[in-house]
Amino acid sequence: QEFQFSTVEIQGNGRVSTESILNFAGIGRNQGVSGGELNDAYQRVLASGLFESVEFIPQGSKLLIKVTEFPTVSRISIEGNSKVNDDVLSSVLQTQVRRAYAPSTAEQDAAAMAEIYASKGQLAATVTPRIIRRNDNRVDVVFEVTEGKNVEVERLTFVGNRQYSNARLRRVLETKQAGLLRFLVGRDTFAEDRVNFDKQVLTDFYTSRGFIDFEVLNVAAEFSRERDAYFLTFNIREGQKFSFGEMTTVSEIDGLDTADFQKEINIRSGQTYSPVAVENAIERIEILATKKGIDFLRVEPRVTRNDRERSLDISFALVRGPRVFVERIDIEGNATTLDRVVRRQFKTVEGDPFNPREIREAASRIRALGFFSDARVDARAGSGPEKVIVDVDLEETSTGSFSFGVNYSVSSGANLIASFSESNFLGRGQRLAFNLTTKLDDGNLSFNFVEPAFLGRDVAFGLSANYGFSAPIYADHESRDIFVSPSLTFPVAENARLRLNYKVGTNLLRNPDDNDLPATIQADVDAGEVFEQSLGYTYSYDTRRSGVNPNAGVKFEFSQDIAGFGSDVEYLRTTATVQGDTTLFNEEVNLSASIKGGMIEGRGGMDTRVSNRFFTGTSLIRGFEPGGIGPRDLDDTELALGGKFYAVASLETDFPLGLPEEYGIKGGLFLDHGALWGLDDASSAGGSEDISWRTVVGASVFLKTPIGPLRFNFTKALNKEDYDVEQNFDLTIATQF
Amino acid sequence: CSEYAPERDLEGYTAEEIYKRAEYEITTKDFDSAAQYFAEIGRLYPYSSWSKRALIMEAFAYHRGSDYEQARLAAQRFIDFYPADDDTAYAHYLLALSYYDQIDDVGRDQGLTFQALQALRVVIEQFPDTEYARSSVLKFDLAFDHLAAKEMEIGRYYLKRKHYSAAVNRFRVVVEQFQTTQHTAEALHRLVESYLALGLTEEAQSAGAILGHNYQSTEWYKDSYALLTGRGLEAKSLGDNWLSAVYRQMVRGEWL
Amino acid sequence: CVAQYRNHGYTPNDADLAQIVVGKDTKDTVRNAIGVPQSEGLLADSAWYYVRSQFKHLGAYAPKEVDRQVLAISFDTSGRVSNVERYGLEDGQVVTLSRRVTVSNVQGTTFLKQLFGNLGQVSAEQLLQ
Repeated sequence: QEFQFSTVEIQGNGRVSTESILNFAGIGRNQGVSGGELNDAYQRVLASGLFESVEFIPQGSKLLIKVTEFPTVSRISIEGNSKVNDDVLSSVLQTQVRRAYAPSTAEQDAAAMAEIYASKGQLAATVTPRIIRRNDNRVDVVFEVTEGKNVEVERLTFVGNRQYSNARLRRVLETKQAGLLRFLVGRDTFAEDRVNFDKQVLTDFYTSRGFIDFEVLNVAAEFSRERDAYFLTFNIREGQKFSFGEMTTVSEIDGLDTADFQKEINIRSGQTYSPVAVENAIERIEILATKKGIDFLRVEPRVTRNDRERSLDISFALVRGPRVFVERIDIEGNATTLDRVVRRQFKTVEGDPFNPREIREAASRIRALGFFSDARVDARAGSGPEKVIVDVDLEETSTGSFSFGVNYSVSSGANLIASFSESNFLGRGQRLAFNLTTKLDDGNLSFNFVEPAFLGRDVAFGLSANYGFSAPIYADHESRDIFVSPSLTFPVAENARLRLNYKVGTNLLRNPDDNDLPATIQADVDAGEVFEQSLGYTYSYDTRRSGVNPNAGVKFEFSQDIAGFGSDVEYLRTTATVQGDTTLFNEEVNLSASIKGGMIEGRGGMDTRVSNRFFTGTSLIRGFEPGGIGPRDLDDTELALGGKFYAVASLETDFPLGLPEEYGIKGGLFLDHGALWGLDDASSAGGSEDISWRTVVGASVFLKTPIGPLRFNFTKALNKEDYDVEQNFDLTIATQF
Repeated sequence: CSEYAPERDLEGYTAEEIYKRAEYEITTKDFDSAAQYFAEIGRLYPYSSWSKRALIMEAFAYHRGSDYEQARLAAQRFIDFYPADDDTAYAHYLLALSYYDQIDDVGRDQGLTFQALQALRVVIEQFPDTEYARSSVLKFDLAFDHLAAKEMEIGRYYLKRKHYSAAVNRFRVVVEQFQTTQHTAEALHRLVESYLALGLTEEAQSAGAILGHNYQSTEWYKDSYALLTGRGLEAKSLGDNWLSAVYRQMVRGEWL
Repeated sequence: CVAQYRNHGYTPNDADLAQIVVGKDTKDTVRNAIGVPQSEGLLADSAWYYVRSQFKHLGAYAPKEVDRQVLAISFDTSGRVSNVERYGLEDGQVVTLSRRVTVSNVQGTTFLKQLFGNLGQVSAEQLLQ
């Protein structure tokens, strides 16, 4: 039927104004309104969520709207929770202070809180909402929590595993048994989604060892009598172990010969089958295709299975993929970082063919910048079917440190430091660092600046300057160095970079407290302040990061510095390092072997100065104090004189200690075998002239701490000279962890 | 400074007293605690006429204290509760301002700019005759210009690195979608540069013609005219040698 | 040093290009045959352009464009292909870019703002010399 209202009256609204209710209802004055429209208006007012009840009462030409408002929430409190604190629980709350209270939302909040307890293994926890009426139609909302007993996982057992023992499979699974540090670890409680995750981990473990038919039949969980622990039994079927049969490449793109691609497949037939090997082969083929400039190439591995020989023949089909282009690269979230700093990490330019591998590599380069706590790079549909837009969502993190204070280091005691360093200076990606350190025995002011993209090219310009006194503990003389050193670093080949540097400055050796010095050092002191200028280059070839095999690689570095051209000091210094890294037991154990060598030779008949000779620090050979080995003035002062030559071979490994990863503790062993020898004229020094090898074995503990990964080294020298100075413990920053 | 200023329970005070205290806090520029006092009024006296006033003042206080996130929440709450109030226009305006004030240099985040544009458009369209609409139009243009500047910056990035077709696409976006901004003249000149570099002289001429037709008096037209008539740009007197390029790009962070 | 080469952009190979017949093909048939154009002209009926270039990256030098193929497909008023032309690197002019920039009104972060933003953060390197 038809209504016509000239006046509308609203009763019962306190906080919500009459105009707002009219606004919600949306009925005009003296406007014909049908029954249906009236009902819609009613629904709209109810849907505003502000009213407990709404009534529309038409009285002839007047419409009476009766509403009762929801009370507003004055205070929210949670009682009875001890295992989960208030913030975690209140994070899921829909009910909010000063907003309308609705019983349905309070029920949802209670259920959400119970869900948090369930995910932490507290299956018995219950949450009930209660309200306390206050004056002026206000309520206090109280969530009462009753926590049940914590549920621990006691035993993991496996049925049907012939190839691998229960212990081996337990180590593979993440759910730790209730171990010794139970109160620390929240992970070993029973959680549904983690068991499914374990099933996936088991499947990956087996398939990567050739058991392609592996299957988890079911997972049985029994509750212990005291209802505080679960017994998990995984029922598995391993199936047969398969190996690689014949590898072939076939091309469906005309005019493309497959010979070079066939060479890229480094899988030997007979090798145990693993999906990772197939993935690597595809990756190598795609990298070669990009190098050859073939666009839109996709590799489809076609597997033929012959059960009798239990081998898989794989033919890699080179197929022309869909023609898709990158339409735009949109970068967002870079609050202080300039757009170009992120954009230059992309080799792909807008309009180029879409190559997912290049985009993934660009994403890892962006993350390697270290400016962002989170960098998500993903592609979404563009303006047309053949176009894709690459979205880069960034979340910036703090990239600088600015501190005053005192720091302590084992080798040189307490120092006052004032330092400023910013690795994203003004958002341009430039690194800038000032350092002022006043140690007990010397002061040092250093400045360092790096522009990674000099003139927009892939060239890094570096400038460092230093004004500093230093008197290392192994010496009784003091040396003051003032120098400035610009450098340019640029790529010269696939994984190779060349660094050219020039260094100019002065060096002064002093003996302020007039100590008794060995003859050679006294001669250097008497020479007073010397002008030193050198040109140098460093060639470094490093496949560890960008090489095809992500978890193995070689690093080779060779550098030479020639001092001369009008400099008071003339020498040729050469250093070289070869280092090989690899990982074993699918990336659990790191193994690295390295050989380092160095020599310095005076030019123009000049002898080398003590400030230019090599002194061993822990970076070279471990287990000795800095300057602890090498030529020494044995007659009276027992002071280290530094050596003209050094050679060190070292073998090192680090491995998990079986403790859960959350502790961040790893162990390591190493062996250093090296020597430091050679002086210009040994006679005057009385130090030993011939080469004597020192061998040191050591164990280290790696610990992840909030301020960075630390490394504790404990060393024992197997053979050394009796006059060497040992150091059995050292604390350093672990670079490779 | 205490996170929640009014520790003593304010049950005893009337809404008006708390409101006066909050206004006092504003005069002493302690915007955060002023906002918290206004919030207390909303909690203790939700039905008094003061709570409506307090809610809009809370949004204002947070905004002045440049706590933009809180300002947005408070403004949004006011809009939800009082959709048809005469202060609602101001609440929408505060909401837009709290996005707009966070927009930073052109080289950076443009996510905020989109949100600012949307919020400003709401003010302009729903409250056309308020003074907030007038200043929103001005801010809308500035935000719109900021987006255009972002496209130009990326276009220049590709132009400098000789990726001409990528540069052309970016500059075309500016000419087609951002004609009202001040960047259109430069975009047209950059198109002339890019097309000439690609050897597409007719396209360069058509771009130059559009530039000449609409922006005859600009420097950009002079540059384009020089390029199109084959004389090329004379190197500026400031000296375009290698070293000044290093100074400009590395020290001053300029693009070329 | 060893130079590295990088390819950008895309031009269809000759086999696909041969399918396009002047006077018959329309924009849609061209798109199906050789894909979407890289960029277009300003005016509505302007030509479609496919650009492919190869850059040589050598040591510290700026990347140099060593090869470029531009394919221009222009259409007549009725939308049919009117001409197919090819341009190379040699057709392009060397253009000196003007450095001027239309300055936008928003300023960037200043050194001091960044400096004090980092107050108090300590990194491992500083503590352990």
